[in-house]
Amino acid sequence: MVTLDKLKSGFKGDLEVLNSEQGLSVIRIKNKKLIKKLAWQIKEEFDILYSLAVVDYSPDFELNYIFSNYKNADILVLKVNITEKDFAIDSITDIFSSANWEEREAYDLFGIKFNGHPDLRRILLPEDWPGHPLRKDFKVDDEVRNWTGLDLKF
Amino acid sequence: MENSIRLNIGPVHPAMHGVLKLILDVKGDTVIKAQTEIGFLHRASEKIAEMRYFSNYYPIMDKLDYVSALNMEILYASVVEKAANIEIPVRAVYIRTIMAEIQRIMSHLVFIGSFGEDIGNMTGFIWALRERELLMTIVEKISGGRLAPMYICNGGMFYDLPQGIEDDILKAMSTIENKVNHEYNAMFTKNQIFLSRTKGVGILTKDMVKKYGITGPIARASGINRDLRKISPYLAYDKVDFEIPIENEGDTYSRFVVRTREILESIKIIRQCIKDLPSGPYKTAVPWIIRIPKKDTFVKQESSRGEMGIFLVTDGGDKPYRLKLRSPTFFAIHALEELLVNIKVADAFVIVASMDPVMGEVDR
Amino acid sequence: MIFNYVYSIVSAFVFSPLSYIISFIIIAILAVIVTALIPVFIGWVDRKYAARIESRYGPVYVGPFGLLQNFADLTKMLGKRFIATNIDWLSFNFTPIALATVSFAMLLIIPLGGPGLEFISIPYSLLFIYTLLAISPLLILVAGWGENNKYALIGGFRGAAQIISYELALIVVLSSVALLSGSYSITSIVSNQSSIWYIAYLPVTMVVFIIAGLAIIEREPFDVPEASQELQAGWKVEYSGIRYGFFLIGDYVRVTVIAMLVTYLFLGGWNGPVISGIFWFIIKTAIVLMIILTPRWVLGRPRIDQLIKFGWNWLLPLAVLNLILVELFMVL
Repeated sequence: MVTLDKLKSGFKGDLEVLNSEQGLSVIRIKNKKLIKKLAWQIKEEFDILYSLAVVDYSPDFELNYIFSNYKNADILVLKVNITEKDFAIDSITDIFSSANWEEREAYDLFGIKFNGHPDLRRILLPEDWPGHPLRKDFKVDDEVRNWTGLDLKF
Repeated sequence: MENSIRLNIGPVHPAMHGVLKLILDVKGDTVIKAQTEIGFLHRASEKIAEMRYFSNYYPIMDKLDYVSALNMEILYASVVEKAANIEIPVRAVYIRTIMAEIQRIMSHLVFIGSFGEDIGNMTGFIWALRERELLMTIVEKISGGRLAPMYICNGGMFYDLPQGIEDDILKAMSTIENKVNHEYNAMFTKNQIFLSRTKGVGILTKDMVKKYGITGPIARASGINRDLRKISPYLAYDKVDFEIPIENEGDTYSRFVVRTREILESIKIIRQCIKDLPSGPYKTAVPWIIRIPKKDTFVKQESSRGEMGIFLVTDGGDKPYRLKLRSPTFFAIHALEELLVNIKVADAFVIVASMDPVMGEVDR
Repeated sequence: MIFNYVYSIVSAFVFSPLSYIISFIIIAILAVIVTALIPVFIGWVDRKYAARIESRYGPVYVGPFGLLQNFADLTKMLGKRFIATNIDWLSFNFTPIALATVSFAMLLIIPLGGPGLEFISIPYSLLFIYTLLAISPLLILVAGWGENNKYALIGGFRGAAQIISYELALIVVLSSVALLSGSYSITSIVSNQSSIWYIAYLPVTMVVFIIAGLAIIEREPFDVPEASQELQAGWKVEYSGIRYGFFLIGDYVRVTVIAMLVTYLFLGGWNGPVISGIFWFIIKTAIVLMIILTPRWVLGRPRIDQLIKFGWNWLLPLAVLNLILVELFMVL
C-alpha cells in the first residue's frame, strides 16, 4: 500500500508494519509521543476513527486505533503501548472528531487519561462509579457493592 | 441560560427509543442547546465476553441490538469462525444471508412504525408491526424464538430450515412488498403533513457524516455510497444482485426513504437466495469449547443500523481475552448535540427517531 | 321546548307551584343522563372506528360490541389515586371541572335533533356556543401553569397560541352564516335552510369551519398542545383519575358539538324529505362525525409554527373573503 510506505519512511525505526494484507494493515508505533504526528499523516488517507479497542496486558496496555475511510473498506489498525506508570496519551480528538466518544469510553472503562481531550468525563458509567471495570484487575469490592446495593458476582 | 427552560427528556420517555437522555435548553418552543447522555443500559457486555466460552456468548449478542438480533449473532459467528479458521457449508452461508435480510426488514419496519408514531401517526405504527408479525412468525418457525432467536452457532446454525418454510417466506415477502409500495406510500410519502414535518429537518451534511464517523442508512441518506455488503462482500452478498439506495438531501425524509427502499432491496436478495438455496449440510461440527491461538481478529458487517464491528483478541484460551464492539448508533448519537440546535422541540423527537437508535447496542 | 312538555304532563297531576319545581328536577335528571350518554357513545364510536382503521378489534368484552367499555373506564378512573405533587391546588382542580361544565353546557343549549328539543332555549344560541368554545385557551393556560411541570407549561403555551389563531377564523365563519340567515339562533338558521342548504352558498366556509373547529377542540391533526408522543400529554400530563376523565368526556362532547354545528349550519339540520326530521339529523351528523374522526388516524401532527402559519395565512383570509362575498350577496 502506498500509505504504508510513506508512513514508514516518515517515521523510520519507530514504525513497524506487522501485517499488510489487502484491505487490512496493522502497524505499531513504539513511541507514544508520536501518535498525534502519525494521526495527521493517517488523516490524509483515512477519514474516520472507526473504533478504539484497549487491551489490558498488565502492566502494559495496548491501544488499537482502528481507522477506516469512506472510499473503500480498508482498515488500518494502529497499535500503541502505554504503561501503567505513565497512564496517559495525547488525544487525537482534534484530528478525528469521531474519536471524542471513543476516548471517553476508554477513559471510562480503563482509566486512560487523554491529554488535550475537550471533555474527558465518564460516558457509560455514572460519574461516581468506583474503579474502571474492564481492567483485568477489577475486583467487585465493597465499594462497588455499596454503590450498587447488589450482591454482584463476577 | 437566561429565560430558558431546561427539559430533561428521558431516560424514561416514550419517544426516546429506550433509555436515551436528552437535556434540552428550550426558549419558547425553540431548542438553543442540546446535550445527550447515554449509558443507562450499560450491561458490560464486553466484560461478560471475557468470562464465557466462545459458544456461550450468543445470547448476549442477541440483547445488544435487540431489534436486529440475528445480524448480531451472524457477526459474532463470523468473527469466531474467522479467528478459529472454521469453514462453514454453502447452505449455511445462504441461510445466514436469508436470516440477516429478514431481520433487516423487521428492523426497518420497526423504524417505519416508530418514526410514524413520533410524528403522531399511530396507525402507521400498528400497520408496520402487523407486517413485522408475519416475519416474526417465520423466525419463530425457524428458530423457536421471536425477539432473541438464538439460532446461529459456531460453524453454522442449530437447526436446518423446516420443510416448506420457503413458501411462507415468499408469501410474506410479496405481502410486504405490496404494503410498502402502496399502503406505506399513501400513509407516509404522499402525506402532506408527513412531508412538511420531515423534509428539510435535521440536515446531516456529507462533511458531518465523515466528521462523526456515521455509517449505514444514515450515511447513505446523505449521499455517501458505502455499503459493506457491496464494497467488501461477506456471506452470499457477492452472488446476489441488488442495489444500494442512495439519497442526497440528508434530511429526516431521505433517511426514511432510504430505509423503505432498503426493505425492497432485501426482499430481492431473499428471493434470489431462496431460488439458489443449495442442499447439503447446514453446519460443520465444531466442539462446544474451542481454543483459539493468540491473535487479533477484526470483522465488520453491515447491520441494519450501520457498520457493526468486533475486535476480538484471543490468547490461546477457551474464552476471549478481549472483545470490543463497534456499534454504529454510538457514533450517530454523538452527532445529535450538533443537530438538535435551533430547531423546534417537536423536531428534536423526529430527528432522534430518524437516527433509529437502539440503546442496547449504544450502551453495550 | 322540552320543559313545556314536561310541565304540561306534571301539572296534570300536581298543583301548580310544586309542579314547576318537580318538572325542573325531572329536566335536570334528564339533562345529566342525556349529556352523559352522548359522549360515552361517541367515544365508543371513535374507538371502534379507529380500531377498524388500524386493523384490530377495539373494545369487545364489556357489554354488547364493547358498548359499555367507556363506562368501565370511567369507573376505573374514579378509583385512581391522586399522585400529582407541588401543584397549584386551585387552578389544578378547577380546570377539569370548568372544562367539563363548559362542554356540557354546550349540549344543553344546542337542539338535539328537532325544533324545540333543547334543554335551555335562548335566542343567541350560536353566539353562546362560540363563547363556550372560546373559553378553553384560558383554561388550558391555567391548567398548564397550575401543574408545575415543564411539559405542561409548554403544552399550555402551545394550546393558547393555537386556539387564539383559529378562534378568529371560527367567529368569522359563524358571522357569515348568521349574516346569511339573519339570526344567531340555531333553530331559525335551520328553518331558513328548508328550501336550500347553506352548503350551496358556502362550501368553502364549511371546510374552513371543520378545520377551525378541529383546531379549537384540539382533535388530531391539531393536537399539538397535547402531543402525546413528545410532550406526553402536554397540558394534561399531571392529571390522572377522574380529573383526566373529565377532560376525556369533555373532548368527546366537543367533537359531537362540532359535528352537530356543521349539520345545523351548512347541511340543513333536520330538514329532509320522506322520513322524520330526527333521522335526517342523525344520518347527517353521523356522516359529519365520521369525517371529523378520520384525520386523527391517517394524518400526522404538524409543528406548532406550521400550524399557526396555516391558520393566519390560509384559514383567516379564506373566512374573511367568504364573509365579504356573503355580504355582497346580501346587498345585491
